[in-house]
Amino acid sequence: MTNPKRALILGDGAAGTILSNKLRLLTNKEELEIVVIGNSRQHYFKPDGIQIPFSLKPYRKSVKNPAFLFNSGINYIRDEVIRIDIAQRFVTVKSGKSYDYDYLIIATGNRFTPEDVPGYEGEAKHFYDLQPTLALKEDLARFNGGDIVVGQSSIPIQCPPAPYEFTFLLDQYLRERGIRDKTNIHYIYPLNRVFTMSTVAKFIDELFEEKGIMTHTLFNVDNIDSKNKRVNSIEGESVNYDMLILVPPHRGQKVITESGLADELGYVDVDRHRLTYAGNDDVFVIGDATNLPVSKAGAAAHFQSGYLSHHIASDIGGAAYEEQYNGECACTTVTGKDNAITLFFSYDRPPRSNFHSKSDFLLKWTSADTYFSGMVRGIM
Amino acid sequence: MAEETKPTKIIDARGSYCPGPLMELIKNYKQAKTGDVISLYSSDSGTKTDAPAWIKKSGNELIGVYDRDGYFEIVLKKTRQ
Repeated sequence: MTNPKRALILGDGAAGTILSNKLRLLTNKEELEIVVIGNSRQHYFKPDGIQIPFSLKPYRKSVKNPAFLFNSGINYIRDEVIRIDIAQRFVTVKSGKSYDYDYLIIATGNRFTPEDVPGYEGEAKHFYDLQPTLALKEDLARFNGGDIVVGQSSIPIQCPPAPYEFTFLLDQYLRERGIRDKTNIHYIYPLNRVFTMSTVAKFIDELFEEKGIMTHTLFNVDNIDSKNKRVNSIEGESVNYDMLILVPPHRGQKVITESGLADELGYVDVDRHRLTYAGNDDVFVIGDATNLPVSKAGAAAHFQSGYLSHHIASDIGGAAYEEQYNGECACTTVTGKDNAITLFFSYDRPPRSNFHSKSDFLLKWTSADTYFSGMVRGIM
Repeated sequence: MAEETKPTKIIDARGSYCPGPLMELIKNYKQAKTGDVISLYSSDSGTKTDAPAWIKKSGNELIGVYDRDGYFEIVLKKTRQ
């Protein structure tokens, strides 16, 4: 009997966890050893960050211990990857150990780099991680009117719809508190529309106009002037604020750049249809770590994990896997307190957004439960 | 393109979808000096309208938008300080 092959998965976020669990369901331990390396303190369901600040959801439902999310038969190692050597086929971790592999899957996600925007730290608020989200909830409770600016510092960011989703819920929250007429909501966006995908942008733009939300497009944040409470753009515009809610800039992980797999922005150039890296048939990259032209979102990682788990399982079984990943993704995004739209799209098919509905909102409302009970376990 | 507008920098963003090419242009613009000419290659049709709109909004000079063989070339001169 031959030794099992080893799939070495780097990252214990959505992409790494879903992939490892799916792969475990499709293979047995005699043929494949699955090793996951990650050091997350918590597995936070980030999409809930748009609801927690408005007390629409208790945060405890959105957080789990990462170790509890792996199915039986997966070797989860809590450590930090410090070097990836594709040529020599090994990975080194902070504790000093090295691991070789038959299949390497890089699912290291990305990180926030507020230092990329002068003036950001200590001034801008955001809802992209649990502690800042809880702090924002307190800040909003104290807010009594003025100018609120909502937007993102750069592209790409995780969950691209989140800034407009948050803006809709902010509008609703201020109305319910009776201070909407004392507040100007400004939405800033880097492109010449309010969202990347033009079909969705048109729909969102009409809703923004209906709700009196002021938009500033082609606004790429250059710096924040905290003294004068002003956010300045590369294009030479400025917007004044009393409260600034700005998604911090993102980059890929340092280890990716330091291992020579990407430039200083840290995103790995990946084969669009096979998710392989630089012509290597045994090195894959999924989730936020890639530079694929799809959303950096758990929903995209979920679809990529479905494709890749079948690809690897077929390879182990000796069967050629001819399917290609086509960029397919589905996600539900909020358009108000009781409404949402569900978007289906792929590389070649832009999403349609003809209507929003309460039933779509129900999908969004229950998404953390669906995620933790089924999706992350690999059974959906 | 005339000789005097020979690009200081060429960004080949072909194969990258919106907003990739525009973001590449903005990233390189931030690193460029006043007077530099940046040429952007893109196969994404959205760039043909998005990039000129950004160049105009940012107060720089759009030298031209050219249809090449299977892609577009958009040329910017950084005129702002």
